[in-house]
Amino acid sequence: MPPYVLPDKCDGCKNEADPWCVAVCPGNLFMIDPVTSKALCRDPGECWDCMTCTIFCPRQAIVTQVQYQLAPIPAELIPRLGKRHITWTLIDCKGRIYRLENMILAGEGEEED
Amino acid sequence: MRERVYIDTDILIIGGGTAGCLAAWEARRVGGPKLRITVVDRANIRHSGSLAAGQNALNAYINQGTPEDWVAYVRYDLLGAPVREDILLSVGYELNETVALMEKEGLPIKKDAQGRYLRRGKWNIEVNGRWLKPITAKMAEKAEAQILNWVYITELIKQDGRCVGAVGFGVRDGRFYVIKARAVLMAAGGAAGIWRSRYEGDAHHRMWYVPFNNGASYAMMKRIGAEMTGFDTRMIPLRIKDTYAPAGTLAIGVNAPMVNALGEVFMLEKEEYVRMGGHTAPTPVRVWACYREIAAGRGPIFMDTTRGDPEKVAGLREQYLDMSPTTVLYWAAHDIDPAREPIEIEADSPFLVGAHAACCGAWTIGITRMTTIPGLFASGEALGQAPSRYISGCWTCGRIAGRHMVQWLEGEGTEVPELDPGLVAQLEARTFAPLERWSKQEFFTNGKPVRGILPREMETHMQNVMEDYCGGRIRYFTVSEPYLEIARRRIDRLRRDQLRYLVARDLFELERAWDVINRLDCCQLVIEHISYRKETRYLGFVTRTDYPERNDAEYDCFICSVWHPETDTLVFKKYPYEQIVPGDRTKETI
Ligand SMILES: Cc1cc2nc3c(=O)[nH]c(=O)nc-3n(C[C@H](O)[C@H](O)[C@H](O)COP(=O)(O)OP(=O)(O)OC[C@H]3O[C@@H](n4cnc5c(N)ncnc54)[C@H](O)[C@@H]3O)c2cc1C
Ligand code: SF4
Ligand code: SF4
Repeated sequence: MPPYVLPDKCDGCKNEADPWCVAVCPGNLFMIDPVTSKALCRDPGECWDCMTCTIFCPRQAIVTQVQYQLAPIPAELIPRLGKRHITWTLIDCKGRIYRLENMILAGEGEEED
Repeated sequence: MRERVYIDTDILIIGGGTAGCLAAWEARRVGGPKLRITVVDRANIRHSGSLAAGQNALNAYINQGTPEDWVAYVRYDLLGAPVREDILLSVGYELNETVALMEKEGLPIKKDAQGRYLRRGKWNIEVNGRWLKPITAKMAEKAEAQILNWVYITELIKQDGRCVGAVGFGVRDGRFYVIKARAVLMAAGGAAGIWRSRYEGDAHHRMWYVPFNNGASYAMMKRIGAEMTGFDTRMIPLRIKDTYAPAGTLAIGVNAPMVNALGEVFMLEKEEYVRMGGHTAPTPVRVWACYREIAAGRGPIFMDTTRGDPEKVAGLREQYLDMSPTTVLYWAAHDIDPAREPIEIEADSPFLVGAHAACCGAWTIGITRMTTIPGLFASGEALGQAPSRYISGCWTCGRIAGRHMVQWLEGEGTEVPELDPGLVAQLEARTFAPLERWSKQEFFTNGKPVRGILPREMETHMQNVMEDYCGGRIRYFTVSEPYLEIARRRIDRLRRDQLRYLVARDLFELERAWDVINRLDCCQLVIEHISYRKETRYLGFVTRTDYPERNDAEYDCFICSVWHPETDTLVFKKYPYEQIVPGDRTKETI
């Protein structure tokens, strides 16, 4: 299942009308569970693995995993959104940690909180 | 009756993607402040469509030579097939200007030490493309277009032979949208999910093309009688196996050679492939060669990154984070390091596209982007016979469409009369039919509808038919008439008498229901077009085992079809190919 939501981290975007994950999914897959008020991907099989929801979640509550039929866990890829860059933390199956970055908008202007 | 939203606009753009957003921008630029422009998308245009996951290059850019040289390259890359050189040239003249415009809007383009755009071959530049979509969407926002996010368009409206708008449903609010327009642009992308996916369950959408573009463009235009063309081509992407990342970044980005299991650089070492162009052979040929190697027992096929440019290989992960981040995660989970071992590649299922390496779409009049239905324009993947436009070409093509729509409004595109209420009611009933049927269903004790068919069930049936009988991956992409005949019978059966059982339990499933309705119309186009072209012109993409040769006398031309609703058949006609750029079509000019 590509995007999992961690219940302890998701705050449902504080009942905002349009929670981030719901607003950004190109496949309309995210919804807020009416019972728990937390987000969920309603049909993981329909997911394109674009990671947009994962990048945008302000609480880093969404974890993207490669489908188990394709790759064993654990390995983790955790994005952190800055103003002009995304900083990714990659942890591979051997536990090695890498920090990677990609630019999203042109220009210098500073960065990271 | 459901709650209705009526919208009256001058220009309606269906699909706020690569082409759609730039069409809005250009229409405002030339049409002035009074023009009413409306963009409708099934998702949020800031994060929708092909650019949703980002991409790391602009595959159409004139780094050297002239627009004519680029056109010569495009037709070469599709094996010298007939392409609309007029349309391609119109794009070529404005390509670089459009890219400069997007750079000004914030798109980070990679530069070399001298400050020039970083080239990747003759026609390609590298970008940091993770934010391509928000930057593109900003153009429609700047144009102050009215943007309707989360509205799925289901049908175009035709009155007195002219396209006068469209209808759809709000995927969040369930309202029925009735949009009247003086000009309509179809820019809802190409079609994914026609053939069976390689995987099931949670990975069944791990595919190259965006699974949320489902042929709505093609199906809607077909249904109102526009001439459709190019469905005898299909795009078969070579990608990093198990991911949706195209292999191009490895080939031209880091100079990794394609090798078979024996380590042979077969495109350069084997006479039959060298004759067809070696490692710069046309795109379909490279797919064909891979499959030939696999069939001969020399698979799997790899991109040998250990022989690539080491500096560039080291930066690969960052590049994939720009366009397919889960590839990086996949490598990490399998302990794959491209500097240490070659990367396996495989062909994905076929997809229908018109702006990538295939020709599917509507036939258009001259360079106006208007289809054969007055008032209906097409751009991006929805426009036929002008392949290899990619992102930058779609932006440009969108701009050109925007300009011609404004011209049409100033000329023949006069006010449209009121919409016929009877027709609107009929379209409403049609739009919500699967939902209505659900409410009338009986259910088995496990909750499965007694007579109803769920969208996913019908989709699976359709994909199995297309995979087995219309040249799927398991048939090595080959087709022949006896197979096609079975595909035809089964798909017709689904379209003609199974759709009345299609049920949807909620709005989310109604989207899926319309996806399968649209895909089924695409299947008909594909089967009939492939069957009509009794030759093999696109070796690798559509290989006919019953007609393995090219037949220039009969088929070196454009082939178009019109759908006749009374008989539910496609009627074909041919147009001659007009070569504008002189020279041997099977060769590049530079
Ligand atoms: C994985 C992948 C990698 C690629 N890599 C590159 C690359 O590196 N470089 C390059 O130049 N090109 C690349 N391309 C090609 C390029 O992205 C496309 O050719 C181009 O973006 C197509 O633009 P479009 O406007 O036709 O479609 P899109 O940009 O996909 O827009 C279609 C829009 O229509 C909407 N829509 C669909 N159906 C409906 C409906 N029924 N109602 C309302 N809205 C609807 C969608 O939500 C979407 O927003 C790649 C494509 C893919 C899929
Ligand atoms: S964006 Fe994150 S915090 Fe907000 S609702 Fe979604 S998962 Fe929860
Ligand atoms: S990864 Fe992309 S497609 Fe999948 S749920 Fe997240 S935003 Fe939607």
